[in-house]
Amino acid sequence: MDLELTEEQQRLQDAAIEFALSELNDDVIRRDREEVFSLAGWKKCAHFGALGLPVPPGYGGMGLGINEVIAVMEGLGYGTRDQGLLFSINAHLWTNTLPILTYGTEEQKQRYLPRLCNGEFIGANAASEPDAGSDVFAMRTRAERRGDCYVLNGTKMFVSNAPVANLFVVFATLDVRLGPMGITAFVIERDTPGLKVTRAIEKMGLRTSPMAEVTLEDCMIPAASRLGREGRGVGIFEASMEWERGCILANYLGVMRRQLESCIDYVRKRKQFGQAIGKFQSVANRVVDMKVRLDTCRPLVYRIGWLKGQNRPATLEAAVAKLYVAQSLIASCQDAIQIFGGYGYMTEQGLERDLRDAIASTLYSGTSEIQRNLIAKGLGL
Amino acid sequence: MDNIKEEIRQYILSEFLPGETPANLQDDTLLRTSGVLDSVGTLRVVSFVEERYGIEVEAHEAGVENFDSIAAIAAFVQSKKALA
Repeated sequence: MDLELTEEQQRLQDAAIEFALSELNDDVIRRDREEVFSLAGWKKCAHFGALGLPVPPGYGGMGLGINEVIAVMEGLGYGTRDQGLLFSINAHLWTNTLPILTYGTEEQKQRYLPRLCNGEFIGANAASEPDAGSDVFAMRTRAERRGDCYVLNGTKMFVSNAPVANLFVVFATLDVRLGPMGITAFVIERDTPGLKVTRAIEKMGLRTSPMAEVTLEDCMIPAASRLGREGRGVGIFEASMEWERGCILANYLGVMRRQLESCIDYVRKRKQFGQAIGKFQSVANRVVDMKVRLDTCRPLVYRIGWLKGQNRPATLEAAVAKLYVAQSLIASCQDAIQIFGGYGYMTEQGLERDLRDAIASTLYSGTSEIQRNLIAKGLGL
Repeated sequence: MDNIKEEIRQYILSEFLPGETPANLQDDTLLRTSGVLDSVGTLRVVSFVEERYGIEVEAHEAGVENFDSIAAIAAFVQSKKALA
């Protein structure tokens, strides 16, 4: 495993940094305060190619391999202060676009992928329910087969992008008695009668990424809207999570790198008691810890790409990375605030937003507790 | 039949019981009810036998009755192959 970016990966990452720095940082403080999703930013990301990174060019995407995708996401995370927008892109890519690419029929792919890549459609994923979070396969949303249709009934919780989404990948059970074997995935367009985006959910962080509850009331869809086979929703869900866990963290490598660089710059310039504060060991040690975290997180994330690039399973490795990067990110956000002192606590500095955005990283795509379960299972415990 | 059992044994050992002594995984060792396979693990075994033996497992066929031991899985695979 080579830890250096290839020339092509570096070129892609540099382009992503330049794009994000110049195009994705407008008005973030206000939008964060008012919980405003940037549709303009979304369209710019579509134009840049970020909404179809792993999708083959024949369907309107960039056709990048996973290592290239990770390199781009790291660059976007470095360049933009709008981590909510990147969170929305990750939800769109890994839990909507990729499942359609991987498990969709040719008709579904032709119909949806070009629109998901060009920004016309925003994707969302509805799996969690009020009583099925970490135990997601205990979901109760029912899909009843009626002739050539399915009728869905249930309530979905924590649906990222729901307020702005045009296309939902929805998981439902054919029969709760079948347990996970009953879970089946469907692709449902927003204007389908019976699908309603109900209560918008206000959040601590990632506030520029909208979230809502979705209810399905006698939502009738043609059988052709099923994604994959009956009873195989769990495999689709797990594959999404593996990609998401790997790639969603790549942004955070960028965030950690940006914070490290700005902290180094600050402790060199900021003088107290007649010298740069970086000369004080207590301050320097925080910067050192941030550096060590970044350098240990980075290979964990790129290892997922390396494994997936060889079509090898990465469940355990993705869980290790998710667990470690999330806790490292939060620790580094806190260190950055402490290093900047009172200035770090000010909204205009952006570090308090980074921390609020980071807190969710131990919760989404499987909590840290679930990641530990996955790792223990992978060790045969 | 013995060949099928052996292939399933190797798959379960490598995927779910790394480091386990092969002799501890007998044909009648309980898999589901003992916790070796949880429901997601069972789905992975289902995908493995579908791909390896060219069969299709329906949702209602993947329960404890067919997937609780290597012997049961092998018998189930055999019966599906006979129907194919």
